[in-house]
Amino acid sequence: MNDCNQEAMLSIRGITKAFNTNKVLKGIDLDLQKGEVLGLIGGNGAGKSTLMKIVMGIYQPDDGIICIEGNQVRLNKPSVALAQGVYLVPQEPMLFPNMSVEENITMGFRENIKDLRKRLLSLIKQLEWDIDINRKAESLSIAEQQLVELLRGLMRNSRILILDEPTSSLTFNEVQSLFKIVGELKKKDISIIYITHRLTEVFEIASRVAIMRDGIITLQGPVEDFNREMLVKGLLPDQAEDKQNIRCKTKPIDYSTTDPVLVVDNLCGHGFSEVSLKVFPGEILGLAGVVGAGRTELATSIFGRDVICSGKVMLNGEDITSMSTRKVMDKGLSYVTEDRFLYGIFKTSDVSANITASNLKNMGRIFLNFKEERKITDHFVDAFSMKVTSRKQEMGSLSGGNQQKVVIARALATKPKLLILDEPTRGIDAAARGDVYTIIQALKAQGLAILLISSDMEEIVELSDRAISLFCGKVNKIFSKEEISQDNLIAATFGVIKGEVANA
Amino acid sequence: MHKKHSIPRETTSVIFLILLFVGVGLINASFLTVDNIILSLNSSVIYTVVAIGIAFVIITGEIDVSVGATLGMTAAVCGSMVRDGNVGMGIFWALLLGLFIGLINGFGIAILRIPSIIMTLGTNGIVRGLIYVYTDGKWIENIPLKFKALSQVRLFGSFTWFYFLTLLAVVLMHLFMTKSQVGRYFKAVGDNPNGANLLGIPVSGTKIIAFMLSGLFAAIGGIMYVSRVGFITPIAGIGYEMKVIAACVLGGISLTGGVGSLMGATIGAAIMASISRVLVFLGFPSDYDNTITGILLIVIVVFDAVFQANLAEKMRRQRLAAKIVHTQSVALEEAPDHE
Repeated sequence: MNDCNQEAMLSIRGITKAFNTNKVLKGIDLDLQKGEVLGLIGGNGAGKSTLMKIVMGIYQPDDGIICIEGNQVRLNKPSVALAQGVYLVPQEPMLFPNMSVEENITMGFRENIKDLRKRLLSLIKQLEWDIDINRKAESLSIAEQQLVELLRGLMRNSRILILDEPTSSLTFNEVQSLFKIVGELKKKDISIIYITHRLTEVFEIASRVAIMRDGIITLQGPVEDFNREMLVKGLLPDQAEDKQNIRCKTKPIDYSTTDPVLVVDNLCGHGFSEVSLKVFPGEILGLAGVVGAGRTELATSIFGRDVICSGKVMLNGEDITSMSTRKVMDKGLSYVTEDRFLYGIFKTSDVSANITASNLKNMGRIFLNFKEERKITDHFVDAFSMKVTSRKQEMGSLSGGNQQKVVIARALATKPKLLILDEPTRGIDAAARGDVYTIIQALKAQGLAILLISSDMEEIVELSDRAISLFCGKVNKIFSKEEISQDNLIAATFGVIKGEVANA
Repeated sequence: MHKKHSIPRETTSVIFLILLFVGVGLINASFLTVDNIILSLNSSVIYTVVAIGIAFVIITGEIDVSVGATLGMTAAVCGSMVRDGNVGMGIFWALLLGLFIGLINGFGIAILRIPSIIMTLGTNGIVRGLIYVYTDGKWIENIPLKFKALSQVRLFGSFTWFYFLTLLAVVLMHLFMTKSQVGRYFKAVGDNPNGANLLGIPVSGTKIIAFMLSGLFAAIGGIMYVSRVGFITPIAGIGYEMKVIAACVLGGISLTGGVGSLMGATIGAAIMASISRVLVFLGFPSDYDNTITGILLIVIVVFDAVFQANLAEKMRRQRLAAKIVHTQSVALEEAPDHE
C-alpha cells in the first residue's frame, strides 16, 4: 500500500502526525494529478492545514511518504519544498507589509533583480492582471494580497499550488476573478489543491474532491460522482444517527409568555452583519458556524470588547449596546472565551483567585474578604466536582477540563442573567466534556439564559433548545428544536441551505 | 489602481536635523556655522559606525544592548596591543572579538530562543566585567601619538578621513542591504518571520549574521575610539547602546522590525552627536545629555507604536469586513418560529 502512484504529480501515502498525544493525521493517502484541481473539504480541526504544512515542509510527518512525479522526496524545510515546485498560499496572506509588491514577489530568489523584474512583468502581462508592482503590500486589499501570493508561486515555476481557503476573505466579485485565474492555471498544467469550507465552490472549479474528517480522508473521487448531500454526509461522523436520541428531555419553554433575557437586533460590527437573535431564560441558544464565520467577533462585540457599528443589544430590556466590558458584566452578562490560554486563565495564580477574579469589587472594600473567597470557591469546586488538590492549587497545573470549569465558575461568580459560552469544550477530554455538559444543563435548569457558540455540531445538537447558524458573518438559518440535527447544521454552516446556493 | 507615494521616513529625520541646527542657530548664531556643523558630523563617526551594526539587528526585529560593552572591550584589547606596538594584531583581535560576541548573542537568541533584550543584557554584563579583569581596572594610556593622529587626518577641508571611511561603510552596507538578495533577508525576517520562513529564507541564520554584524561594527567603533579618545577606561563605551538605539529610532528604523535604512541610522547618529553640542551652545550643563536622549527615544517610540497599532486595527477590520457575504440575512423577527 505504501507505494507511490508513479503517474501522479503529488502522491501522499500513509502520512500520520501527532502533536503530543493528539493524533491529527491518521494515515492519509492522497493523489494529485497533473493539471487538476483537487477540492479538499473538511471541518475545523480535520487536519487539512496540518497536512498541507507537511507538504510545504513546515511540519515533519511521523510516518508515511510523499512522492513528487513518482520520486520520493523528504520535505524537511520550506526551501526544499519550494525547490520541488510546491507553493502554499496560506489562508491569511503572509506578505511583508512594509515592502513593495515587487520586493515581496522576488524575495528569496538568487537571480539578478533586473532579470526578475522583467520576468515578473511579462508574467503579469501574460495573465492580464492589473497590479502595480511598486505599491506597498500593506496598502493592498486581501484579494490583491492573494494575487501577490499567487504570483510568488508562479514566479517559482511551481507545479503544485496549494490554496488554503483562498476565498474566506474575498468578496463575491473577487471570488469570481480568482476562479478565472485558477482555470487559467489549470490549462497550464499546474496542479492545484484547493482547500475550502464552501461546498458550492467545489462544484464550480474542482475536477476531483476529497473530504477530510478527524485526520482521515473519508471520501474522494471525481466531482461529477457527488452531489451536495453526499459531501455533507462525508463530513458527518459515522455514528451521527445514534447520537441524536440521547438529548436531554427538558420542559419546553413557553415563548409566548416569557420575556427574552437578551435581544440582539440587527447588529452590525467588524466581521458580522445584520445579526438578530433572542435568548430566553432557561434556554440554550446554539450558535453554529465555522471558524471565521464571525461568531467570536459577535460575542466580543456584545461583551463590549469590540466596536459595534449599528444595531442594538438589550439585556433584560435595558440597552447595553457599546457599553464597556465592566458595565456589561455588572448588568448581568458573562462571557467564557474560546481561547482559554490567551484570555481565560491566570496561569500562575491559584484556583480561588481565578474564580473570584471577575468579582473582586464584591469581595471586600480595601482588603479582600478571604472568608468569602473560600466560600465561593468551595461552592463551585463542590458543585462542578472539580478535581483540585486544594483551593490554593496553581491554575496552570490543572487539566484542561478543570481549567474550563474554573473559567465557567468565574463567569458565574458575578451572578449573571446571561452566559455566553464560546467553544466551551475545545481541547478537553471526553470525560470532562460530559461534566461540562452536565454543568451547562444544570445552569439552564436554574433559569440561566445561555448562548452557546460552537463549531462542534454534536455539541449544539446535544445541548441546544434552538439554534441559529452563522455563515460569512450573517445568520443564514434558524432551527427549532425539532430541526436541529448535525446534517442540517453542517449544511447551513457550510453555506448550503436545502440545496440552494447560499453564496450568490 | 492608485499609486501610493509615502514620504520616506528618513525625510522626517533630515527635517528634524535641519530644524535642530536652525532652531539652536537662532538662539546662538555660532551653532549654525560651517565649522560647527563639520565638527558635529566628525564627532558622530563612532555613533554612526556602531549604529550601522545595530541597525541590522533592529531591522530583523531584535535588539542588542551589549554594543557599549563590546565597544569598550574591543577598545581595551586594541588599545593595549597598539600601546605595545602591535597595531595589526590589535585591530585583528578587536574585530574577531566583536564578531565572537555577536555570534554568542545570535546563538542565544536565534537557536536557544532567549529574548534578545535578556540575552544581550547578559552579555553586556559579562563583557563589561571582563574589561575590568582584562585591564585590572586600570586605564590604558600611552597610545602612540601616530595612532592617535589617524583620527585627526583631514580630507576636503575640516572633515576627518574617519568620517569618509564611515560614510563609505554606510554606502557599502546600504547597498548590501537593499540591492543584494541575501541582504534583503534582514528586512524580510523583521517584517514577517513566518512569511520569510515559508519562502525558504533562513530566519535563524539571518538573525545570527545580524548580531555578528552588530558585534563587528561595535568593534570598529572600539578601534576608532582608541584613536579618537586616546585612552581607555574600564567604563569606555558605557551608554553607547542607548545613544545608537536612539539614533536608529530617530532615523526612522522601527523597533518592531522590517522598516528603516542605514541612511536613516546615519542621520540619527548625526542628530545624537549634535544634541550633546546643543546643550553646550544653549548653556546647559552636559549632564542633561542622557536624559534628553532617553526622552527623545521614548517619545518617538510611543508615536511609532500608536501609528502601528492603528494600522494593524485598520487592516483587521478590513479583513473582517471582507468576510461578510452581501446577501439578505434571515429575518429573525418571528423567532422563535414554532410558538
